[in-house]
Amino acid sequence: MTTAPQPAPPPERPMPAPTRESQPYWDGLREGRLMLQHCASCGKVRHYPRPVCPHCFSMESEFKPASLTGKLHTWTVCHHPFNFFFKAQAPYIVALVDMEAGVRINAPLRGVEASQLKIGQPVKLQFEPVTKDVTLPYFAIA
Amino acid sequence: MAHALREKAAVSGIGETAYTRGTTKSGLALQLEASLKAIADAGLSPRDIDGVVPYFPGAGIAEDFIANLGLPDLTLSLFVPMGGATCVAAMQSAAMAVATGVCRNVLISVGRTGYSGARVSTRLQQFPQFALAAEFEAPIGMFAPAQLYAQGARRHMELYGTTARHFAEVAVTTRRHAILNGNVVMNKPLTVEEHHASRMISDPFRLFDCSLESDGGAAIVISAADRARDLKKPLVTIMGVAEGHPESPASIAQRPDLLDFGLVKAASRGYDMAGAGPKDIDVAEIYDCFTFTVLRQLEILGFCKTGEGGPFVMDGRIGLGGELPINTHGGLLSQGHVVGLNHVIELTRQLRREAGKAQVKDAEVGLVTGYGDMGDGSLAILRRAA
Repeated sequence: MTTAPQPAPPPERPMPAPTRESQPYWDGLREGRLMLQHCASCGKVRHYPRPVCPHCFSMESEFKPASLTGKLHTWTVCHHPFNFFFKAQAPYIVALVDMEAGVRINAPLRGVEASQLKIGQPVKLQFEPVTKDVTLPYFAIA
Repeated sequence: MAHALREKAAVSGIGETAYTRGTTKSGLALQLEASLKAIADAGLSPRDIDGVVPYFPGAGIAEDFIANLGLPDLTLSLFVPMGGATCVAAMQSAAMAVATGVCRNVLISVGRTGYSGARVSTRLQQFPQFALAAEFEAPIGMFAPAQLYAQGARRHMELYGTTARHFAEVAVTTRRHAILNGNVVMNKPLTVEEHHASRMISDPFRLFDCSLESDGGAAIVISAADRARDLKKPLVTIMGVAEGHPESPASIAQRPDLLDFGLVKAASRGYDMAGAGPKDIDVAEIYDCFTFTVLRQLEILGFCKTGEGGPFVMDGRIGLGGELPINTHGGLLSQGHVVGLNHVIELTRQLRREAGKAQVKDAEVGLVTGYGDMGDGSLAILRRAA
């Protein structure tokens, strides 16, 4: 018996698998908000979401909406598509941003040339729905 | 008072397979082949091994070593999941085991089909240490180490004026050393121009800033120093050894200072245990997953100040005959990628004065580092005690 060769499936975008801790963050993005986890006891913000506050060890926390503005901490320009889904987009800039809220967000930075970038440049978080459940963040120059 | 572990353990045996791109052997077979060589090099029988630390996640586990080597009474089986920092960190665990008498001879080993099997970059997301990167960074197009580490390299360039020319110097020097070794994947000379012309992977890393995906196995045996004195090769003792875990260990993005590798914490502890400092080091094998990673570790280790790693590597300083010869075997950039166990093997050869054309004259004390996952670090300082 011979098996007909199967065409390769189109590359799939890697998708987040939210955990019980991180679900509110992903729900927030879908609603167009940046929701960050704060300790309910000492009030300190933490990202990425996790069960225990590393400052006061409280396990109680709440998610609050945060400002969408931040400043460029550093960046890379991805040329080689380590996942074939991103081949069509390459090269693309991924910016690491110091958010006003005191955490960092890593996300694509669009609408600017890498040669124009400087540490400290103001940027603003934007939202890109990619499925009905998942919205991903990206940045634009503020 | 000297640290309780100082010079209590020795690297008694070393072994490695051919480093290739393409093999018909399994990762386990490569790991066992290297292990048998290391055990023979120590003048031991496989029956003498009573502790194993196989690289994890990797090919073999303790059960494989018992089944293949007929180990009669294994008293210690450990994993040290620190990516590229694993092998040197495992030396700390092994030194503790032989110094306390829990074990007599501990085998640390790696076997990889990183070229002919599943590529390294596609396996990474299955590691628990990479769970945060898989959830938050892979969906936005960042998942390979070349991408995740590139942001730190870019920041170093912006803050301190480090350049691609500095990166190239590491790549070109390492290649020159590899050619002297013989058992290497990359055996043709590399010029600065060829480095600059190589394709961009994730800016600022070009192809020749990145380590190899290769096939091969490597192994070492750690024995109590007083026992190793009776074995057949010159005695190479562990003066100091330490591992370090950075802040925000599973996410570089959230680390207060992206350039604070785990080595920042490990270096002072390792030097203190050794009772030695940067000025005592005759030769250094620095974990080189990327050229930039070498520059930054040289700063952290105190060979130069933060921000001066670029200028430091220039003018032949890190080449054979220079002030601080590094990666005298060709490293991960040019010899092969066995997660840095080849660095420990090369340092041992240097101190035994078995390094052939790459021998650093009169090498007495040397240093080896590991760097892995999201910035875990480790170092060991070894001495020719023969």
